Amino acid sequence: MKTDSRQYVSREAGRCCAAGKATELLLHAKTILPRIVKCSSLFFAVSMLVGMAFAQTDPGVRSSTGVNAGTPLPDLAATAGAPEFFANGQTRFEQVEVVSGGTNNGLGPRFNLNQCSACHSQPAVGGSSPNANQYPFIGANPESQVIKDGIVTNSNTIPSFITAAGPVREARFPFVISNGAVTTTPDGGVHDLFTVTGRSDAGNCSISQPNFTQAENLNDIIFRIPTPVFGAGFIENIGEDTLIKNHNAIVGNNFGVSGTFNYNGNDGTISRFGWKAQNKSTLLFAGEAYNVEMGITNELFQNERPNPDEEQNFTGLPGDCLNLAGSGYPEDTTNFKATSGSNQFATNASIPSDIVMFAMFMRFLDQPAAQPNGYSTATTTVTAASISRGQTAFGSVGCATCHTPSLNTDPSSFNEDLNKKTANLYSDLEIHRMGALADNVSQGTAGGDQFRTAPLWGVGQRIFFLHDGRASDLLTAIQDHCPSSVNSIPNQGTGSGSGSGAGSGSGAASEACTAVTNFEALAQTTASGSTVASQQDVLNFLRSL
Amino acid sequence: MNDMTVLRLLVSLAVFISLPAWGQNTGSWSVVQSSPSSKVETNLPPTLLVKGAWPSATDLTAALPEGGSLTAGVYTNQYFGLSYTLPTDWAQKSAGPPPSDSGEYVLTLLSPSDTYKGTARGSILVTAQDLFFIPLPVSNAVELIHYTKSHLQPYYQLEREPVELKIGAQSFTSFSYWSPVTDLHWQVLATDIRCHTVQFVFMNRDPKTLESQVLEMNKMKLPAQSSPGDVGGAAGPVCLKDYANGENVIERVDPVFVEHKYNPVPVRIIIDQGGSVKQIHFLSAFPDQTKAVTTALQRWKFRPYLRDGKPVEVETGILFGRTPYVAIAPQSAAVK
Repeated sequence: MKTDSRQYVSREAGRCCAAGKATELLLHAKTILPRIVKCSSLFFAVSMLVGMAFAQTDPGVRSSTGVNAGTPLPDLAATAGAPEFFANGQTRFEQVEVVSGGTNNGLGPRFNLNQCSACHSQPAVGGSSPNANQYPFIGANPESQVIKDGIVTNSNTIPSFITAAGPVREARFPFVISNGAVTTTPDGGVHDLFTVTGRSDAGNCSISQPNFTQAENLNDIIFRIPTPVFGAGFIENIGEDTLIKNHNAIVGNNFGVSGTFNYNGNDGTISRFGWKAQNKSTLLFAGEAYNVEMGITNELFQNERPNPDEEQNFTGLPGDCLNLAGSGYPEDTTNFKATSGSNQFATNASIPSDIVMFAMFMRFLDQPAAQPNGYSTATTTVTAASISRGQTAFGSVGCATCHTPSLNTDPSSFNEDLNKKTANLYSDLEIHRMGALADNVSQGTAGGDQFRTAPLWGVGQRIFFLHDGRASDLLTAIQDHCPSSVNSIPNQGTGSGSGSGAGSGSGAASEACTAVTNFEALAQTTASGSTVASQQDVLNFLRSL
Repeated sequence: MNDMTVLRLLVSLAVFISLPAWGQNTGSWSVVQSSPSSKVETNLPPTLLVKGAWPSATDLTAALPEGGSLTAGVYTNQYFGLSYTLPTDWAQKSAGPPPSDSGEYVLTLLSPSDTYKGTARGSILVTAQDLFFIPLPVSNAVELIHYTKSHLQPYYQLEREPVELKIGAQSFTSFSYWSPVTDLHWQVLATDIRCHTVQFVFMNRDPKTLESQVLEMNKMKLPAQSSPGDVGGAAGPVCLKDYANGENVIERVDPVFVEHKYNPVPVRIIIDQGGSVKQIHFLSAFPDQTKAVTTALQRWKFRPYLRDGKPVEVETGILFGRTPYVAIAPQSAAVK
């Protein structure tokens, strides 16, 4: 009995209605009448030879509509001072950080990159992982260029899982590695890729990178890609009761979906940001990223962070890697003296610390704009009719059960654009059990196999999908929602380790499997003149978001 | 069209009403305790954990909702006392995820296998909803079907209003709907077993295949109904909602949580005839939470539940952690 969903779909392609030549006579959908399907046996044979070639394909990044994300809320100016705060926050988000001796100090001693906007850049600042060959051609994975760009010295090596054409990634080890073996003690923290060793502004600090090769061989490594922050202000302002009512509305659904929330430990309310919805607010999101990804301590996370194993071994960071900026902790603080200038609001905006202004920038970013009227990509043109069919099918087959099309915000004290408005986020902000997608990292009340429903707004112009960017094609991403093998963690190098401690599991499946099965029950493509939705319509709809 | 189809279904079922229902083997209960008669001081009740830093599942031999298995084309679930023969050349696409915080299980998901020769594509989903933890004002299969039907998304159209029918001696409520834009059809059949609503959700592009699969359900084996008041149950523990309340609890110790995490911790317990906790099943909990709750529960004492003057085992549910949230106020009578 085969359980690999990829193979299942290819059997679909072989069985009936081969590539582009489906002829289905549909007696009209208004009455319940038998549907006669005609399949050409010749094409059946041909497509069997083709193997994994599908008729339905991901249109690719939408390009004809320009970049449809990254702008501020349209009516931000209605709140006096808000545009200046947005602009200031964006500038800081784009700043290049250094270790010492500059104006933006505190980088390191361990970090993934030195600039927020380098990783969060697709399709615009605030987004996700870029690529040099896909619209809008921002560039190669910046993490792959750090030696070339002089951000790190060649005391560092680029880990094998960072490639120029691949996604920006952070790495975590689900379990502590001790004496070359995986233990059962949970780790789960971020192990930053690079160190400041050898940089001219890093003094005598000399520390080594984590042993990523060993972790890969032990099958004890997982990855996360950047989450886009567009529309963060809307997500922040969706009320608890809205989320709970939405949760209750899907009980009894016929897709086997039953999620829950990640409750933050401070006040017990629902948190919503991050791959496991582990962060409560944009401020927390910003503060955590500043310290964890870039090593810049701040007013939320004031202390330099040893590597998880430096902590486990009670060694901490070496003394000559501390306080490298020389001004004490935290490295990012409120500015008591404002920058002078003629614009009072711009002056005001210079006072808060970086993380507050990052949060303000994210909060004031508009939601990505969907393009329901049609669009083109590098390879194809998509019609409004197809998008409309796909949108309905997206709901009918069950995807919308987790990827809730829209939720309304609470009243807002910031701006009218966030005040009781509709966020078209395509997420219920719940955490769901995703079977073999499990990364064995617990965060808040999210267990190792639970992930937040990723908001799909803006997915039309994204390149890498799922929490670790394993899929760069939407069809694969859909199939991967119902992954086949237990503990399959891809891109693990030559991992032949026992992967012990990663849980025996029962091969428990993902909540998405029924919806994926239903999606695969759709016709692959829609024949001309037909009004019945196909898998291609769903893909076309997704790329319109 | 609708009435004709219902009639057709009922007529077809009438042929099978005489099929004997399969009684559940209750001998399995004694397997749960590793040392059969020793009491609480030395033996913790076996705890069955779900949540944690890694996905885990039960590894004891106790019959559990999530413990179904598929062998030689037959799905068997000892806990629910049911046995379902898959349609020819259909296979299990996946077992379900671990149970959810609100007590929902996916028992199995079936779809055509690679040897399936037909062209009709679809799925058969079997779920179970623990009625002690459902965050909706419904208390049985009938109410759940009516709730689902009245909350259908606008892209569906009702094909058949809810009807009640019998498979063997087991009552089911069924309704069907379809999605015009995708030309997919659904039929849902729901029944109550051990205070869970078990649902069979058939989906297919071909209404004829759908219909024939639903008719094949007559070959299912289901628990024998042993006494009135049991919700489709066999001769197992009596399932009672909110038994761990008020005067029923003679001795109670609150769990001491190391860290207050705010996630709901739904727990099903079986209380033996003497009033002590015999089995604990954590639907969803972190390891430290299971330790805290287990330590507490082993010191609880219940008033035995009597039936015909004799104490019987009771199965009930307790929600630790968060209090449940319910959409609207509970209604008093079943919706018909």
